[in-house]
Amino acid sequence: MLRIRHETVYRYDEPVLQSVQSLRVTPRREHRQRTLSWQLAAPGRRSEQLDAHGNIAQLLTIDEPHQEIRIVVSGLVDVPDDGPLIVERGPIAPLAYLMATPLTGANAELTALAARCWSGSAATRTELEALAAAVCNAVKYRPGTTTVTDTAASALQRGEGVCQDQAHVFLAACRSSGVPARYVSGYLLSGDDGDIASHAWVDAWLERPGVWLGIDVTHQSTAGARHCRLAVGRDYLDAAPVRGVRRGGGRETLEVRVLVAAENSQQ
Amino acid sequence: MCAAAYDEMLDTTGGARAHCVRYFSWLRAQPAELLARKRAEADALFHRVGVTFAVYGEEAGTERLIPFDIVPRVIPTEEWQLLAAGLQQRVRALNAFLGDMYHDQDILRAGRIPSELLLCNAQYRPEMQGIDVPGGIYAHIAGIDVVRADGAFYVLEDNLRVPSGVSYMLENRKMMMRLFPELFRHQAIASVEHYPDGLLENLKSVAPQGVVDPVVMLLTPGAHNSAYFEHAFLAQQMGIELVEGQDLFVRDDFLFARTTRGPQRVDVLYRRIDDDFLDPLAFRSDSMLGVPGLLTVYRSGHVTVANAIGTGIADDKSVYPYVPEMIRFYLGEEPLIANVPTWVLRNAADREHVLAHLAELVVKEVHGAGGYGMLIGPAASAAQIEDFRRRIIANPERYIAQPTLALSTSPTFCSQGLAPRHIDLRPFVLSGREITIVPGGLTRVALREGSLVVNSSQGGGTKDTWVLES
Amino acid sequence: MLSRTANHLYWMSRYVERAEHLARLLDAHYRLSLLPRSPEVLMQGWIATLTSLGMIAHFQSQHGEADPQQAMQYLAFDRTHAGSIMSCLGAARENARAVRGTVPSEVWETLNATYLDARDFRSDAGDIGVRTFLDWVKYRSHLTRGVTVNTMLRDEAFHFASIGTFLERADATTRLLEARWRDPGGAGERLGVDASEWAVLLRALSAFEVYRKVYRESVTPLRVTELLLLNAEMPRSVHRCLYDLLGNLQAVRNSQSAETERMAGELHAQFRYGRLEEMSSVGMPQFLDRVQRRLNTLADRIGADFLVAGYSG
Repeated sequence: MLRIRHETVYRYDEPVLQSVQSLRVTPRREHRQRTLSWQLAAPGRRSEQLDAHGNIAQLLTIDEPHQEIRIVVSGLVDVPDDGPLIVERGPIAPLAYLMATPLTGANAELTALAARCWSGSAATRTELEALAAAVCNAVKYRPGTTTVTDTAASALQRGEGVCQDQAHVFLAACRSSGVPARYVSGYLLSGDDGDIASHAWVDAWLERPGVWLGIDVTHQSTAGARHCRLAVGRDYLDAAPVRGVRRGGGRETLEVRVLVAAENSQQ
Repeated sequence: MCAAAYDEMLDTTGGARAHCVRYFSWLRAQPAELLARKRAEADALFHRVGVTFAVYGEEAGTERLIPFDIVPRVIPTEEWQLLAAGLQQRVRALNAFLGDMYHDQDILRAGRIPSELLLCNAQYRPEMQGIDVPGGIYAHIAGIDVVRADGAFYVLEDNLRVPSGVSYMLENRKMMMRLFPELFRHQAIASVEHYPDGLLENLKSVAPQGVVDPVVMLLTPGAHNSAYFEHAFLAQQMGIELVEGQDLFVRDDFLFARTTRGPQRVDVLYRRIDDDFLDPLAFRSDSMLGVPGLLTVYRSGHVTVANAIGTGIADDKSVYPYVPEMIRFYLGEEPLIANVPTWVLRNAADREHVLAHLAELVVKEVHGAGGYGMLIGPAASAAQIEDFRRRIIANPERYIAQPTLALSTSPTFCSQGLAPRHIDLRPFVLSGREITIVPGGLTRVALREGSLVVNSSQGGGTKDTWVLES
Repeated sequence: MLSRTANHLYWMSRYVERAEHLARLLDAHYRLSLLPRSPEVLMQGWIATLTSLGMIAHFQSQHGEADPQQAMQYLAFDRTHAGSIMSCLGAARENARAVRGTVPSEVWETLNATYLDARDFRSDAGDIGVRTFLDWVKYRSHLTRGVTVNTMLRDEAFHFASIGTFLERADATTRLLEARWRDPGGAGERLGVDASEWAVLLRALSAFEVYRKVYRESVTPLRVTELLLLNAEMPRSVHRCLYDLLGNLQAVRNSQSAETERMAGELHAQFRYGRLEEMSSVGMPQFLDRVQRRLNTLADRIGADFLVAGYSG
């Protein structure tokens, strides 16, 4: 069981007249994870709905002038250790996750990277794990080396990036060779008290038997009981925990604190 | 090519066709200098009123007119009835397809269109999946481009996103009535003036469920958009607010406009902005034109967006070849108006044929618009053909090809007097509680001799379109 | 009505009015230049004017120790800054374009034609050319106002356009007076001396005949000031502008505009019931400066209550 607390604070130099935020910070309702409790605290008005990818999304609107937005979610999520397969197909046909987005467009290098890992036409679990390793090898994990608008191609060229970049590179490689794959945003329980807690990984489509396979590219392994899934999408922009627009405010500073701890299920 | 083309007004002997006898004898009786004067008058009037299109240069303030031809295109009653029935059928099928595409995707499961073509298409909007739109209508306003070649009508292209041009249909008619009132007194020409009323009624009829007196607004990218004239014109004619993204905001799952008396709820948004720019939180995040959160309101069913988001999947050039199949699949009918025969270059057999006949064919880029990204084989140089060959081989899925059609012509007033010029026709089909078509449309004419390109960006002009009443 | 639409109408009128005001101001300078005055004295007048417009720093950064000719060019034709007549005509047209769906088409066509035709005037055509231009601007301004008044529905659109007109005009009249009072070359606060500058001012405001009708005596600075500030019948007087402004504000009243209306009423009352001697006890330029600041506050409040996109009351 995972106990999670995620705090996001935006501060502005000048008053923001109005802001609208799209939040994806509530665990997905999926067979493989059960939300036991979940609270969201944020200013302004908000409404909730399921988005196209089946994520729980809140729209936050603040009409009064403000210089800070503090969003805190916390709760308890049960993730039983029953393997990396996601049985729900999702509301969008898997084929639609073949479409490259501006962040995941392929180039010759990305296509070549993928080609080295495939044998047949439909991907196997082994091949996907091999691709994860190849991606990690080509794009070294290095915190603080990205901006949210970085494309897969530029991350590959740079040779380093964060989990988001590695996920994008993986997606671009998969899609370029006809394997549907989607971006996953969520929380990770890291063994040591390392810096990764807010995390990104991928789901890749296994044509046979027709399920999604969760792959933590950064850790070159499948995603399992240490991963709590918030949102999926075609890329970061679909699944980002917070995506916002504001009027006014000047310079913005962002502070994010995420705590993920294991909790004994007997408690 | 030109000589063989069917002329809409004259038969092969140069005499007027039956439905044009009256008009043509009148036309022949007019002195050339009178016609020239009328044409100059029309230009001056269009300029003053600001019926303009195209680039708006900040400094020069250059607003170009689309050249207007004072010789109308005349359609006889029977032909129009056939056209209207065919267009209704087509638009009904296209709406049914969009509803299916964004729900159960039966047509994919039935294998009538390749899944990949639709699902891996940039025009497919996953955001629309599962949304129930009022009346099941997606393309509330459709502009269907029709051509006549070898005597028969063909649909050349469907425009289901933000089709434009209807203001020219209306302004051209106003101009003709002003220049030549006597022609309208002596012939029964179907009127088009009620289009804005019909459009408003249509938009109101698709308001979210339970809304009694819906508030409709027109969303424009702003005064610097090339079609701004049309946006302002339509808003004014319908008596609705012309809004920009900054005028609107989202609160509690509803859409509001900022007014001098406080927030005003908006029920139907007639948008003239592309999908990509509608909501920076869902689509292009750099868009300043849209309304943050609009998609959320839309998904919750509290606003109708017309045309719906994601209609591009039905008018994509790569999907076009399958529209006849849609008509059969959803309506169980045979198409009343045919498609232009089309080769899909992602298919190896089609590709082989096209590459062997490039000099005879028209090749179109699937995502091109406005007559750009197009090869007209018979008019192209050898170098241009080779360039296209390379492009096709590199990315075959980006292209389709069609035979070079001998588009029909209509007499057009040129510098050397009356001469035949190629034309097409864009009628506007409104879908709401019912499907209606104003009898007429926008006739575009390729003013350059022999040219087949009618787009205003490439030397095209317009004509008034007369549908005769029996 | 959309707040943005109201905002465009308001600014459309303000820019039309501002262009006319500038034309009148330049006309006054032109007339002064025909009086027997040294170039230094004339330039002092220009500096007073540019100061009252808040443009002196920018002007000097562009032209340094300039001459009257350059000042005239700068305010009439220079499109590199927002304060010239040409720039105002352009801004009026752009605001009209944005509301062409709301205003009668004649309003848009008039402003469109004004801007397009203005570009045909040549800035290097000498005195006669400038003079012709200034007369033409005034004429087009009359025409625009005539078209507006005679074609627009008396609805919110008209009221917001009117608010812009009267606010700008009140502001302009105080600036004009302030410049005259501050200009040491124009006799300034020394009463009873050569008053030809003041007569020129009256002529530029088309108010010379009015003055004669009202006072039937020779032109004095205090009388001119009284006419332009306090006379209720004089169309360009601050009193009259505030009266008209108040009426239009009342017509568009909304749930948050009560305080704005009160402030406009208070200011109006001061001009309706006040005495010039008491008002100007702090010194005339200081008093005028204070009025301008109150007008600015009023404009800000009108913006916040009705016009800005952030409004969501």
